[in-house]
Amino acid sequence: MDEKTSSQTQQIDELALALESARVLVVDDMALMRQMIGMCLARGGHKNIIYASDGDEALQMIADDPPDLVVLDLNMPRVSGYEVCRSLRKDPRFADLPILVQSASETPEERVEVFASGATDFVSKPINQPELLARVRMHLENRFLINSLKEFRESMNSELVMARDMQQSLLPDETVIKDIEKHNNVVIEHFYQACFELGGDLWGCWQLPDDQVGLYVLDIAGHGVGAALNTFRTHASMGRFQQARVDPALFMTELNSVLTPAFPLGQFATMFYAVINYKTGHMTYAGGGAPKPMVIGPNGVRLLDSTGIPVGIVNKPDYVNIEDKLEPNESLFCYSDVLVEAPERDGSMLGEEGLVRWVEELNQEGDRHTLISRLLKRFFDAQPAASLPDDLTAVVIHPRDLGAS
Amino acid sequence: MDYRIDNNGGKATVVFTGDITFSENVSFRQLLKDISDQSVEVCNFDLSSVDMVDSAGLGMFLIAREQSETAGWKLTVSGAQGHVASMLKLTKLSDLLDA
Repeated sequence: MDEKTSSQTQQIDELALALESARVLVVDDMALMRQMIGMCLARGGHKNIIYASDGDEALQMIADDPPDLVVLDLNMPRVSGYEVCRSLRKDPRFADLPILVQSASETPEERVEVFASGATDFVSKPINQPELLARVRMHLENRFLINSLKEFRESMNSELVMARDMQQSLLPDETVIKDIEKHNNVVIEHFYQACFELGGDLWGCWQLPDDQVGLYVLDIAGHGVGAALNTFRTHASMGRFQQARVDPALFMTELNSVLTPAFPLGQFATMFYAVINYKTGHMTYAGGGAPKPMVIGPNGVRLLDSTGIPVGIVNKPDYVNIEDKLEPNESLFCYSDVLVEAPERDGSMLGEEGLVRWVEELNQEGDRHTLISRLLKRFFDAQPAASLPDDLTAVVIHPRDLGAS
Repeated sequence: MDYRIDNNGGKATVVFTGDITFSENVSFRQLLKDISDQSVEVCNFDLSSVDMVDSAGLGMFLIAREQSETAGWKLTVSGAQGHVASMLKLTKLSDLLDA
C-alpha cells in the first residue's frame, strides 16, 4: 500500500470512528418516538445518544454540553421545535450545529417555516429509518469535514504568519536604517508589502567604507511561497560576497554564479544595485532587469539604465557598472514593477511614463522627504478594492549633504 | 491569456492574446504540451496582441526556450510592442529569445 492510500484509509477510519462516537441529541415529547429514533441510530452504529423530552430541556442540555447533531420534533408542549431552532441560531456557538427536524404534518408552508427558523434538514413522520440514518450520517460527515478543514486552515494560517515574520526579518531592521541615516546624513523612505502572506521582493542597504552606502532592490519572478523561499536563498547567498559589495557589477556576477545553478528553470531575480557616496553624490550602479530607478530632482525625473539579464538565468550575465552622480537635492528611487503594472480602476496600466508623471507632480507639491509616502497614498487610492496583484517594494534615499562642502 | 497554434508543415506560429502573467502558468504549460504533441521545427511566438507580460510570464518564455532546445526545435519571438517590448529589452531576454 503506498503512502497516499494509507493516509486516505486512515482518514476514512478516523471519520468512521468520529461518526460512531458523535453525540446525537434526540428531542421528542413522546417517549415511544424517542425510543424508536434511538434504536434506529443505535442500529446504525451510533453509540453516544442522549435524549430530551421537551424544548426547554433540550436547550439546557445543549448549553451544558453541545452535541454534534440534534434530531428535533416540531410539535412539543411549552417550547416548540421552531423556537428551539430560532433560539439556537441566535447563539453564535450553535450557528453551525446540524438540526434535523422531524414532523408529521408536512405542508409546503411548514417546510418554508422549518428552514426559515434555522433547521438544517427535514425528515417526515412516520420516520423512514434508512432515510433518517442516511441524513444523520450526511450531516455529521459534513460537520466533521468542515471542522477538519477549519482546523487545517487555522494551522496553515499560523504557519504562514510565522513564515511572514521570518521573511520580514530579511529586510533591513529599523535600527540599521536609522544608523545608516544618521551616519550618512541621508533620509531613507521605504515600503514593502507582499500581495500574499509571503512575497518575492527583497531590498536592503548597508554601510560601506569611504563614505559609501549600498542599496539594492530585487524581485523574484512569480510570487507566493515559491518566490518567498527563493528570497531566503538569495539573501543567504548575498552574505557570502561581502567583499564584492563595493562593486555592483561584481557583486551581482558573484550572486548570479551561485543562483543560476540553484534556481529552478523559469525562476530568476530582477535586480538593481547601487553604491552611493553620500558626500560627493558619486554613484556606481548595475542593473539586472529591474524597473528603471528614478533620480528625482528639482528639475524633474531622469531614469537610470537598469538593463541587464536578471540574476539566475545564464552563466555569463555580463553585468556592467555605470557611473552617475546625484546632484544637490536629488534622490534615488527604486521600486518593484507592480507600481507600473498594476491596473487602475479604469483597467488601464499606469506604466513607466505614468509613474514618472506622478512623481514629478508630487515632487512639486510638498516636502521631498515624504515623497514616497505621498506617492503610495496616491497609488493605493487609485487601486481597486481587491489586493495587489504582486508584491510592492519602494525605497528612496535622499542624501542631505550633497553640495554642502 | 489565450493562444492559437497555426502549424504549417512544421513551421508553427503561436498567436497570443491577453496578458501573460503568473496566473497563466497552467495554460502556458498546456501550450508547451500542445507544441510537443505536434511535429514542429520552428515555432514563433507572436506577441503583437499581448498588452502585458510580468516577470513570471518571462520565466515561462525561458521554460519554452529550454523545451525547444531539448526537443530540437527553434523558438523565435515576434511582434512585441509597448510594455512587452520594453520588458524584453530591459531584461535582455530579447537577445536570449531571438526576439
